[in-house]
Order: sequence, then structure tokens, then C-alpha cells
Amino acid sequence: MSIGQHFKVAIIGGGPAGIGAAVGLAKRGIGPVVLIERRAELGGTPMGYRKKPGGVPTFVEWTRGRMVFGEELAGRMVQRLAKTDTAIRLSTQVTKIVPAEKRLTLLGPEGVCELTADAVVLAAGAREQTPAEKGWLAGARTARVSFTRHVTGWLDNHGLLPARKPVVVGSDLIAFSAAAKLRAAGSDEPVMIDRRQRPSSGLFERLFFRRWTRPDWSGGVTAAEIMGDRAATGVQSSDGQEWPGDGVMVCGELVPNTELALLAGMAVELPSRQLQLARSQALSQPGWFAAGNVIGGFHGAQWCYFNGRRVARAVARFL
Amino acid sequence: MTQFGTWQPTVRGRLFYNWPRGACEEPLRFTSAGQLGSEPYDVVIVGAGVVGCALAYRLSMFDLRVLLVDRLHDVGEGTSKANSALIHSGYDAKPGTLESELLHEAEADWPDLAARLKIPLDPVGGIMMAVTDEQERQLEAAKKNAHANRVTDVRILSAAEIREREPNASPDVRGGLLVPGESLGDSFMASIAYAEIALANGVDILLGADIAGVELGQALHHLVTADGHRLPARRIVNAAGLGSRRLADGYGGGAFDINPRRGQFLLFDKSARSLVQHILLPVPTAHTKGVLVSPTIFGNLLAGPTAEDLPLDDPAATHTTVEGIGRIMEGGSRLVEGLARQPIIATYAGARCACSQGSYVIRYNDGAPGVVTLTGVRSTGLTASISLARHLIDGMQKELGLELSPDTAAIDARPESAWPGWWRRPFENGATNARADHGCVTCFCEVISEGEIRDALDSPLKPRTMDALKRRTRALTGRCQGFDCQVPLAEIVSGHTGIGIAQLTKNGPGSELVAPGQAEVPA
Repeated sequence: MSIGQHFKVAIIGGGPAGIGAAVGLAKRGIGPVVLIERRAELGGTPMGYRKKPGGVPTFVEWTRGRMVFGEELAGRMVQRLAKTDTAIRLSTQVTKIVPAEKRLTLLGPEGVCELTADAVVLAAGAREQTPAEKGWLAGARTARVSFTRHVTGWLDNHGLLPARKPVVVGSDLIAFSAAAKLRAAGSDEPVMIDRRQRPSSGLFERLFFRRWTRPDWSGGVTAAEIMGDRAATGVQSSDGQEWPGDGVMVCGELVPNTELALLAGMAVELPSRQLQLARSQALSQPGWFAAGNVIGGFHGAQWCYFNGRRVARAVARFL
Repeated sequence: MTQFGTWQPTVRGRLFYNWPRGACEEPLRFTSAGQLGSEPYDVVIVGAGVVGCALAYRLSMFDLRVLLVDRLHDVGEGTSKANSALIHSGYDAKPGTLESELLHEAEADWPDLAARLKIPLDPVGGIMMAVTDEQERQLEAAKKNAHANRVTDVRILSAAEIREREPNASPDVRGGLLVPGESLGDSFMASIAYAEIALANGVDILLGADIAGVELGQALHHLVTADGHRLPARRIVNAAGLGSRRLADGYGGGAFDINPRRGQFLLFDKSARSLVQHILLPVPTAHTKGVLVSPTIFGNLLAGPTAEDLPLDDPAATHTTVEGIGRIMEGGSRLVEGLARQPIIATYAGARCACSQGSYVIRYNDGAPGVVTLTGVRSTGLTASISLARHLIDGMQKELGLELSPDTAAIDARPESAWPGWWRRPFENGATNARADHGCVTCFCEVISEGEIRDALDSPLKPRTMDALKRRTRALTGRCQGFDCQVPLAEIVSGHTGIGIAQLTKNGPGSELVAPGQAEVPA
């Protein structure tokens, strides 16, 4: 194991928030800064939304009133990052943390190494809630129970339709974007179900996606099971209502990726996995900060980028 | 010097998947019985669960032609995959039964077996916890029962002694019974290790082949697959678990009834592992053994099972229910404080093979000469698999005239490199041959690398489904349940094997990852 370099700031996560933090630190002349990304490319979640003719533009850049695809938006952020001196470690995951020393153990293509920093920004993003985490969705563990991440992965990278007759579970903006993507790619009009009485997505957002989809909505489902033997054949509620299909998309309801904070012994609320944040999005150990969707809730790529910039200011004050 | 990577032995057996064209590489595809040779098999084992695999492993030490066949698309994919994965001491068995005897034998075998076969094992010990006065009164009887099963190292603990060992034990705890012989095992790796050695030693393995009927003969029988292939067999062992009744109907086997007994489980995240130190067992009632709370060998925390008797062939036998999950949480919380605050990452259910004629029902020459029925291996199959295999072989010698001569070339161990990566990390054990792709993490939650996926694909049993890979590598099993790694994993599998992404399945035909019947349009 190579004993490591020391950095002024280590940023964990190369999505919009991490990039925003790196750009913000560079503007303040703080360095050296290292940005650690576990995937092979920068840009985070929006990068998975490829620009496709006839595709559904998501990660809309509302500030300029223009509709853009995730990869365009993330691509621009990556270009801004490229103009800085930030050291970038791709395909590299943080596996151990000594929080007080801000010592990180990394695993990457060169093996295991360590680095230390004066401050750390956790910008690890969020993921979609699993059926088990929902608590109201049980049943079979079959093929074609997918997340929105898979819908974009199969469709945008491989041109493969995850389901022809999808049942979408969830009703936030992400769920509507999944429904729109499926519909635009040639699926039947999706069925959309949720525990909530009314969709959690706002009216304006729903109107935006009406161009592609008007999902067949069923709310107030208190307990349901995924049906099927080898592949999902739909969802059935405990009161016997059935929504047949050939795939179940479990969408949205983001869960922050706070496992590294938990590993480092930071204050994390369980079972919700929400970080307990002090002022300026500081974590419970001095010199540790959080930026972007890891702080909880659901924010767009632009918001996360600017939140990263804002956290860079707080980091600069700390240093 | 520690070697990391996969085990690639000289494989003397043949491995085939009964799969449509394109679902696996052409040389692995079963298209005619001729691929298995013209000589009849000395023994055909129907059912590649942990028991069938253990029997194949033991038989592979002898000079015999053996076939292991299963309708599923990996070994250990039925009842053997969804359970508590505990290696039992047998303290609570019914004394004097075959089950008690086999567990007693197996307990002595396990440490050495696990070390030789490279099956992860963690002897954490168990505590049966009494949380009411009435349960406390039952502890003495439980201790006597353990002694009757020759489990003599059990000891009654006071409430204070339990709190010392288990700070998160329920405040209601009155006392308990310490059972040092209970261990955590890896139920996936047991079947896989047995089958890999069997395959290396010359046992043929046919997966994805449903046996729909049996043609009985004088000295030679034929097993007939659902698609009409005839497999000649001098002897047949019915180890088909939940399918054993249907198979027995095919050869006129004696009366027995099978009911799947559903057991649902809750799996908690690794942050919950430190909540308990031992396997915490409830005091059983007349109806059920109750909900246990246990660490897993993988570093998670597990609670379950339920015990629900369902009709045979009920598709819901492996479904979880919202109500069942609630009951497990309630039962587990009776033993452990703060369980409800722990994040759940998955729920699963397995169907135990409950037989109304008792457990461990074995019948030789059942319905026809040379046919062995084994059924009712309900809840201790993983532990007893090794001693049961020996017991069956003894029985087949006596009752079926099976003649055994040792195969001098047979191997009886897997090398260090066969340890799964999650158990012996590629870069953390002085391994000298770790590659760059062993550092490229695909499954972030479990920290499983691209290299480990490729190694698993190249391992002797050539796993070709996502579930088979999951059981070998732990990819897809973490807190995100495949959110991040499902698509990249499929890309690695497709790139390494040449199977199209549209043809990749979760667990065989019908479980394609995307809507079936599409052609890929790469970006």
C-alpha cells in the first residue's frame, strides 16, 4: 500500500455537487484538491441521461428556460472542472476512513492507497429507494424489477426497452421521467402506483412530462406485492387490486448515500440514513462537509452544482 | 504466497446448460443426450441443492459415472439459497432421530470441511434467549435435550451474563442457553464448492433440465426431460426437494406429502452487524422455532424466519408479504433492542421442504430397484449435507449393491484461490497476482471488483445468470440492491462471455433483464 499524498481538500464524489465544490475551491485558489469518483466517468447521475433523438430531455436547465439532456448539462460541468488543477481519481472507491485525521483508504486500478486532507467534502449523491426500504412493497424477487437508473441504462446505452407494459411504483419527478422515457421508447402507457393519495411530483412537472406520458394513476396503495415467477408480471395490492405488466419500475424517493459518513462514525439518523448537519452543511466531525443530494431530499443537477460551490465557501472559511 | 483469482482445475466432468440458443456459449449448450456419452450412468442425482451437490461430491471420490441434474440454472438455487445459512450444532433436534445423528456427525466435520472446500464459516455461537418467566423455565429442558443430542458444551446463562455478552439484548431477557456450536455459514458457497469438486472429479452436471418422467427398466432406467431427452441411469437418487413428490410419482414411489413451509427473512445493512455478537435464538413454541436474529457471514444482520405452510406448487412460496415482514420485526424486537431503527436492505423468502411423514425420509428401491427417495430435509440440510451424503452412500452399498472403488485421481479440496473475493480481499492479503481490474469496483456497496466478476465467470461451474454471479461474488446483494451495478454488471458479463445483453437473465429463460425478444442497439 502506498502511503499517501496530502491534499488541502479531498472531495468524495464526481457528480454535479463534487464538481461544484472543486470549481469553487479552485476559484478561491485553494489547492491541492483531489476529487475521488468511484465510477469510470465524471458527471454523476445526469451523465447517464444520454442525448438521443426523440428522447426525453431531463435535468432541465430552468435558469435559461432551455431543455437539455443530462449528459449535456453534466458535460458542461466536467468542462469547467477540466479548467482547474483538481487531481482526479476515477474508478476509485473510498473503503476506510479515519475521520479525525481525515485519512482515506482508497481502492482503485492501482490497488490500495491512502491519502490525507485538511478538509473533506462528501458529495456522494443519492440512490433510489429499494422495495424493501419502502416497507409497503413485498412479493416476488424476480427479473425486471428495475430502478429508473436501469431504465436509462438499458435504453440510453443499449437501446433496449426494460418493459413493454411497465408498472411504475412511485410518483415523484423521477418516476414521471421514467414513465416518459419508457413511453417515448415505445412502451405502453405506464401504470403508476404509489402509497400516496396524490402524486408527489408537482403540477408543473407533471405538465412537462404530459408531452410523453399520462400514466394511469392509482394512489393510496397501503400494501402491495410484486407478482411473478421468473420475471415480474405486475403488482397486486393487499385488497386484491391488480396492475398487470411485464416489468415493475421502482422509481425515485431518493435515499442519500451516507454509508461513508456512517462508516466514519458521523451522526446519521437511522433508518432514514439522513445526515445530521450543522451550519454550512458541516458534518459532526470538524473539517467534514456534505454537498448535493447526499444531504437528503431531491435536488436537480444545477442546484447540486451551486450547493457544491456554496460548500466550497464554507470549506475555505474552515481552512 | 497467496494467490488470488479463480480456481481453474483440470475438469474431468462435463457441464451443460439446457438453454435456448444465444443464452449461453454454444459449447455449454445441451442439445442432445449424446453429449453426455453413450454409457449409462451408475448414479443420476436429481436435484442440485446442497444435499444433491454433497452427494455428488462424495460419489466423485469413487470410480463411478455420475450425473447431477437440476431444472434450475445453477446449483443450490432452490431451498438451499434462501435460508438462515446457519451451521447447526443439533442441540434442539429430536434425540434419537436420524437428523440428530447426522447433525452430530456433521458438527465434527464442518471446521475441516469448510477449510478444505473454502466455504466461509464463522463459529460465533448461539444464545437461546428466554424473555418470559415461562420461557425461562423451559431452558433446563432445552439443556437436557441438547445433552441427549450429545451437544454437551451448552450452558445456562443468567440475564446479567447475557447482557455482558449482548449489550443490545432486550431488557426483558430472563436468561438463556449458550450454544457454542452454532456457526454462520455460506449456504451458496457450500453447494458451489461441492459441485465444483464433483465436476473436477468427473461428475457430469446438467442444469436447466426438468425431469418430467421416468421410464423404468429391469437393470436400466431412463430419466426423461421435459423436452424429451432420455438420460440412462442404473440408479436414481431423488434429491429434488420440493420437486421430490412429482418425481416420485414418475417411478411409483411410496406415499409421502410435501408442503412448502415458507420462511421470510429481513436482511439489515452492515451497520447493524455490531448490534449482536451471537446468533440469538428464541425459545421455540410447539408450533414454530420462532424468529431468530443473527449476524450473517457476509457482515449483515438477519431476522427471520416465518413458518407458513403453503400448498405444493403455490407460486407464492418464495414471496414475501408486508404482514410477514411486520411479524419478523415484531419477533426480532422481542430479542434485540433497537432492531426497528436499523435500515433494512432486502427481504426474501425460502420454501422449506416439509414432509408430513417426518424429516429425513430415505427409501431405498422405492417403487423400482435402484431408486432412492430422499425427502423431508426441512431445515438442517446445509449442516447435515456432508454426513447425509455419507449415510446415503452407505445405504446405497447395502441396499442397491453399489460397488465403490476409490478414484485415485480425485481431489478433495479447493485451493486458496477459490476463496471468494469478499472473504479474502484481492488487495488486502498479500496476493501477488491481483490485476488492475481487481481494483475497479463494480458493486460499490459490497466492494466487488470487475476482476472478481470475470474470475467467477471463468470458475469451473461457469455461472451464466445474474443470480449465479451474485451468489459467488456478492455483487447486487448490498444496500442499493443493484441500483448502481445491475447494468454495468450485465455489460461485464456480456463483454466477457459474448452473450448479448438482451439474452442475459436473472435466473434462466423467462427471466431476461429487459423485455424479451429485442436486439441490442448499442449507443
